[in-house]
Amino acid sequence: MRARSGRQRRYTARSSPHFHKKHDSLVEFRTYHGEAEVDAAAEYDLGVYGTGPMVQVRRSDVLVVGSGGAGVMAAVEAANAGASVTILSKEPLGYGDTRISLGVMSTSPDTSTGDSEEQFAEDMIRGGEGLNDPTLVRILVSEALEATATFETFGHVFDRDHDGRLKRHTVPPGGHRASRAIGSPAAGISMGHAMRSAAARADLDVLEETVCFELLVQDGEAVGATAVHMPSGEPIALLAKSTIIAAGGAGSLYYPHTDCMPSVTGDSYGLALGAGCELVDMEQVQYLPFGITHPPSLLGAPCGEPVVAGPFGKLLNNKGELVLENIMPMTRAQVARSIVEEIGRGGATEHGGLLLDLRPNLASPQGEFFVRTLKKAGAPILSVVRRAYGRKAADLEEPWDVLPSAHYNMGGIKTDEWCRSSVPALYACGQAQGGVMGGNRLGSTSLTEIFVFGKRAGRTAAREARSREYAEEKLARGPLEKLQALRGARGTHRPIHLKRALQRLMWERVGPLREAAGLEDALEEISSIEEQSRDLQISEIRRCNAEVADALELPHMLATARAIAISAIGRTESRGAHVRSDFPDRNDAGPVKNMVVRMRDGECSLRPVVTSG
Amino acid sequence: MNRKISIRRYDPETDSEPRWDEYTVPSGDRTTVLEALAHIYENLDPTLAFGSGCRFGSCGLCAVELNGQPRMACSARLKDGMKIAPLAGMPVLRDLVIDRAAFFDGLRKLRIFISEQSQSGEPQILRVPKLHARLAACIECLACNSTCPSYDFAKDPLAGPYLLVKLAQLHLDPRDTTDRREQAQDLGLSQCAECRSCYCIRGLDIRRDVLGLLMGEES
Repeated sequence: MRARSGRQRRYTARSSPHFHKKHDSLVEFRTYHGEAEVDAAAEYDLGVYGTGPMVQVRRSDVLVVGSGGAGVMAAVEAANAGASVTILSKEPLGYGDTRISLGVMSTSPDTSTGDSEEQFAEDMIRGGEGLNDPTLVRILVSEALEATATFETFGHVFDRDHDGRLKRHTVPPGGHRASRAIGSPAAGISMGHAMRSAAARADLDVLEETVCFELLVQDGEAVGATAVHMPSGEPIALLAKSTIIAAGGAGSLYYPHTDCMPSVTGDSYGLALGAGCELVDMEQVQYLPFGITHPPSLLGAPCGEPVVAGPFGKLLNNKGELVLENIMPMTRAQVARSIVEEIGRGGATEHGGLLLDLRPNLASPQGEFFVRTLKKAGAPILSVVRRAYGRKAADLEEPWDVLPSAHYNMGGIKTDEWCRSSVPALYACGQAQGGVMGGNRLGSTSLTEIFVFGKRAGRTAAREARSREYAEEKLARGPLEKLQALRGARGTHRPIHLKRALQRLMWERVGPLREAAGLEDALEEISSIEEQSRDLQISEIRRCNAEVADALELPHMLATARAIAISAIGRTESRGAHVRSDFPDRNDAGPVKNMVVRMRDGECSLRPVVTSG
Repeated sequence: MNRKISIRRYDPETDSEPRWDEYTVPSGDRTTVLEALAHIYENLDPTLAFGSGCRFGSCGLCAVELNGQPRMACSARLKDGMKIAPLAGMPVLRDLVIDRAAFFDGLRKLRIFISEQSQSGEPQILRVPKLHARLAACIECLACNSTCPSYDFAKDPLAGPYLLVKLAQLHLDPRDTTDRREQAQDLGLSQCAECRSCYCIRGLDIRRDVLGLLMGEES
């Protein structure tokens, strides 16, 4: 056992006599491990549940919220640095967007082909249209190889050539001048296996299927969080000396127009805003240009980024007229923009999209080479196309109906190079973090981001935890009381209905094509949904109550939606993934600005700042 | 058109035994079971609990039993009279949601990980058999465990094909130092020799590529 500062009591749910006496039916937490201290009976401490249920209080040097690639990497690094670590996972551990990704990651540039770190960084900043924080970009590029190696120590094996060396793809994703991308067997699922294995190997306190509610803040410093363990329905208080937000992006704000996990509901940004943290460029939402339009069960499913068009693929409108060609080297933002602008001009098919015609690739040797590559490296994409549109479409003999689909948030928590946010003791890594990708993320770079910055966040949080003390548990009383009141609430609105209303609004008004009036309307509507969210109707069921989960996600979604809308109103130009029909041009006259938002007393404020690039 | 389906409902906290509830769901030709479950939750019955994830067949979270067969709810088409139940043999948290917590614990107990590697900052030269990559396709839906005739969660939640897939993959990993074949024997591998009951939603040939490999058979 490690020596630790702070309280030495170490209870478990099983060993605490109070726990059994007062609360026989509680599902046991079977996944507590590692060095975190668990107080099962905190009734006396919180003083509000004289007759009600008791609340678990857990203490750990480092609390990690989120268990995708960024969260697991941060947790493992922090544990390796000697910290006690608790990691929260909304789903089973590791079941985030990393696990359903294509598993294609940028590693270091291959210098033998003339590629260089400088060129890679230039590509990212050019693709990001100047909004990137160049310091963070340089870190990503220079630490990509080390992050690749570290992730393989988790048990992963990236695709290899005959000599057992990393095998880079032959064709780079759009916006890259050279290929730095390496694939994974069976796509992201193999990364999920490695993440779960590494988390099992490390000394972590793991809380699966636990939804984070709010961060605890004392004198402006992050000191932990409150959460609900869904299988039991029990609230939990988590006290920590350092807190890392690694809960991914907000793709579900646009459901069903998204290829993200439904659990990705902007928790990173909602938690951060609630703690007083600054976010940057939240208006920059990446829509993967090619998403499936029908049937409804597959709406939003990913069928590719620009490279999938190949050298000769064309985008056509409902009259068969050419909308875009030479798609392959373009960025996702550029291609998505062409599609939504043409749809705005009335060019949509009966299914609401445009036609991506890949047949011209079958007619030339260069195109044929590409098709062979696509059939290998793009197998998961073609399998989605086969399910939606049939075999001929998957063989590229028929055009695909395509519509952009929310995929990734470039914006996020503003951090320094060590993943420190503007709130002391609060760190962010992965998609939660902003500034790395600017106005457009190049394909294959997000998996690099999660490991490079996951490592940095974990190490920094562990080191800086040593000089901090735990806050007192009574700080959790307020949020725990709110959590206690959720179940059985007898108000008017079902949380799922408010979620669906917000998602429709975001796609229609704050989606891939925006204008001032729509954005202003959206802000009002967000406020109205927020008002309704104070009057919820939730069943009394304790175990796996989806309405409770919806009610916990809704505030994060609303806060994120507001941050995106306010930043989108503030950016009176079209840049990166942010397209304004009323300001169609990029403003290259003045200095490039980042949109910085923060929330105070429920009010979101915007502060444009000149970029550091 | 409307389709009538039955769903097995059970809350171990309040119900003495499971019951079947009937629902009528509007649907088209290509409506999936997952869409029907979402429709019920959103419009008919706020208390329904079911697993769901990526919607596109990649995550394994929505596996259920449809008319007695394990299927992914997101990929299966809804049919009239369908009976939807949680995966057989799995502990039910509520309704269609199974308790997966034992499986993360299982990774620790069986040391389903390679040993700590030295951190050189450079990826190793690494050669793994093609089968290693094929086994990576497991989406952990647990259909294999639920169709294994000798699997008994109450007796040993870890002794099923699901973790044998992982042992087989580690057996093929040059970085792994544990005897995975011996572990597999301890989990009851010998019972698998004459049995081909375990079903893989992803189409892995578990008998040949996992059990055969761990038994030392030539493939």
